[in-house]
Amino acid sequence: MKNRNRWGRAWLLAVGVLAWLAPALAVAQDFQKVNGPLREELPATPFVAAAYGFIWIALLAYVVWLARGVGRVRKDLAELRGRIGEQADRGGPRP
Amino acid sequence: MRSVGIGFVAAATAAAVGFLFVPALILGAPLEPVMGFVQKIFYFHVPCATMLFLSTFVCAGGSIAYLFKGSEAGDRVAASAGELAVLFGLCTLVTGPLWGRKAWGVWWQWDARLTSALLLELIMIAYLLARRYGGPAGRKLSAALALFAAIDVPLVYKSVDIWRTVHPQTTVVPSLDPRMRPAFWSAFALILLVWAVLFMVRLRLEAARAELASLRLDVEDMLETG
Repeated sequence: MKNRNRWGRAWLLAVGVLAWLAPALAVAQDFQKVNGPLREELPATPFVAAAYGFIWIALLAYVVWLARGVGRVRKDLAELRGRIGEQADRGGPRP
Repeated sequence: MRSVGIGFVAAATAAAVGFLFVPALILGAPLEPVMGFVQKIFYFHVPCATMLFLSTFVCAGGSIAYLFKGSEAGDRVAASAGELAVLFGLCTLVTGPLWGRKAWGVWWQWDARLTSALLLELIMIAYLLARRYGGPAGRKLSAALALFAAIDVPLVYKSVDIWRTVHPQTTVVPSLDPRMRPAFWSAFALILLVWAVLFMVRLRLEAARAELASLRLDVEDMLETG
């Protein structure tokens, strides 16, 4: 009977200690109550600016790549025409 | 190479002006109440995704002409559209996660829409790689890949309606707030115009390359016989 009472008291004491520590445990897990209106943690502007910036840069890079390709083809065509002209001047067959 | 026509110059000028004018319309459009300012990404994200679909279909059309009729012009159309599919797919796959990070809290979700869109982009990259490094059979192999990509397009589009995903559904555009429509359709017209201009230039470049290759063969023949 004496042992039973001792266990009962220990149990009550443990529950009481846990109840007293509960708020402290919640704080330890970093859950905090919001005071006032909810504040946005991530600003939207950098995301929107990055999205639009990427599209413009990607399109511009493609235009530059196309322009370089066109330039190369033009140069090769001019070179080829020069060779054809030289051949024709020497009286050779024309393609 | 042929010189550019007046229609091309007008389209390129309109596109350049549009890049100054359309962002102002987008900034002036009302804010979406749940997502706020980050929803502005929508105005270019959706047109870019649509251009990815359009490019893939054009690429598949050209590939069919090349595979079944041996059309060289079809192959050139496919090559030009294939590159644009990768370009606009990249724009879609970069702007989407930027929007998602703010709206959903994560950069990426392996849901049906995002995964199928990534798959489409990878197929189109494989298309370009097969063309470039596939050897003599590369063009036919890539044409077959373009057909698989075209089959993936309806799957990407309908995935948000078929499966439960975090991505907005296809009803977003038809049910758009009337005050947001001018900004959206202007952005759409601008991206379509940019696509058309780039496609025309790329197609001319491809035709010029083919002409150059043919001329080179002629010159070699001429030098051998001469």
